Amino acid sequence: MAEITVAIDEVGADQLLDTAIGLIPPQVASGNGALGPFVASYSAAASFAPGNVDLIAPGTIRIEDFQLNWSLNFSFGIDLSTFLPDFCIPQVCINIPCVGKVCTPEICVDWPTISVPVSISDFLQVTADFGLSVTLSGGSWKVAAVVQGIPSLQFGLVSAALLVAISAALTPILLAVPFIGPFLAVAANAILLAIGIGGVTGLLGPMLTPFVSGLSIPIYNQPQTFEALPVGGPFDPAVFITLDSVGASITSDTEDELVLEVDIT
Amino acid sequence: MSLTEAERVFGGITEQGINNLLGAFFAARPRHLNYGSPGFVPSTTVAATQMGAIPFPGAPGGIDWAVQLAPPTVDLHPETDPLPPELSLGVNQLSVSTAVRLCVACETRREGERDPDQPDDYPDQPRDDRPPGKAKGTCFDLKIFAVAHLQRTFSPDGVVIVVDAVEIVDVEPSELEAVLECLILQILRAVLADVRLPLETLRAGAFSLTLTRGPEVENDQLEVYGNL
Repeated sequence: MAEITVAIDEVGADQLLDTAIGLIPPQVASGNGALGPFVASYSAAASFAPGNVDLIAPGTIRIEDFQLNWSLNFSFGIDLSTFLPDFCIPQVCINIPCVGKVCTPEICVDWPTISVPVSISDFLQVTADFGLSVTLSGGSWKVAAVVQGIPSLQFGLVSAALLVAISAALTPILLAVPFIGPFLAVAANAILLAIGIGGVTGLLGPMLTPFVSGLSIPIYNQPQTFEALPVGGPFDPAVFITLDSVGASITSDTEDELVLEVDIT
Repeated sequence: MSLTEAERVFGGITEQGINNLLGAFFAARPRHLNYGSPGFVPSTTVAATQMGAIPFPGAPGGIDWAVQLAPPTVDLHPETDPLPPELSLGVNQLSVSTAVRLCVACETRREGERDPDQPDDYPDQPRDDRPPGKAKGTCFDLKIFAVAHLQRTFSPDGVVIVVDAVEIVDVEPSELEAVLECLILQILRAVLADVRLPLETLRAGAFSLTLTRGPEVENDQLEVYGNL
């Protein structure tokens, strides 16, 4: 039997984890992705809002419907060469009397890559199972709820909204290209339509899933050399005890409880 | 039965845990076990607490005295360590056992004075290496048993041990035993009143707890209940 046992019931655990989730600072990430012929660089930010806690013995904390608030700033690069064939003015040579053979250089039109900024933000409701992690790191005992596996994120209408946003940002820019603008706009939108919701989901998933799959919610963090009493005066120094071991589990008797057990010397 | 019962948070510490805390407290602050007048304790330090000598007419500077206690250990209800028949451990009680040494000075060597027992004329005699100002004590040791209960304290929120009764075994005559028990009861109460165990420590800093029930003593454990 551990020397110190501390338990919290499911309602208390809900309060505790709500507070802990609220204290997780916003997470940021950046990278590159591809959406069909479009190349996307992005920066992403995410924060969390609490859900409902279900304690499941012997070691699972299920948090239902916690919220992942996210925002993405994309810069989509569209290489017009994807839509337009290479266009070259061939070399022409003529013989000029007294001068000789004179040739013009071959001139090729290098179609530019157009960058289109697109921003979108939304939230996802996620249900995930967390395991209990106990570590002694840097002289401190830490207990955290660490997400198990990679939760499936359901993007739904967000994917369609991103397609619309890309189309809305892209179309006026392409229409402004002289002579061939309408063709480009129609072609780009046709490609977006072909990419569809599945393609956008495939783009968003790798960008946002790491925020959830790496989620760790702190539950306990105390130095191994624990101050039992602070300094009480010039002749009463602080009193320290050593936390020799820390254990964490979920028990289920008449009630589900999160239990921490600590051995001290 | 769940640990939290009808409350949100439960905290429990075993008697071994409390003894570890008491051991840590008295190891860091031994002056709470050692008391004496200037003849025994020249000044208050982390190791000992200086008290006044007992004033008495005709005794210049008063009568020097000292009290030393061994670190107390507790046994929480139900009784595990046997108690003298005069004491019994009730519900929500704990026993405290310790030893006490009581000393009085029959003569005091003041600073700079030569020790009359060790004249320089006899250099082959073993020397008394006690520092100047230390009184020579006439002492005796007693084994102490007590029963106590726990009481809540505030600022910080915590728990303190309150001694209810003391028993000294095998002291004759019984009137002397009664006087010594009265004296030791007051000393032990005062010593343990200084040991305030914060709730934060009793739960090793886990969660937070606003006490709504307890402290209780049950199954060799101190238990507190509350809300976040």
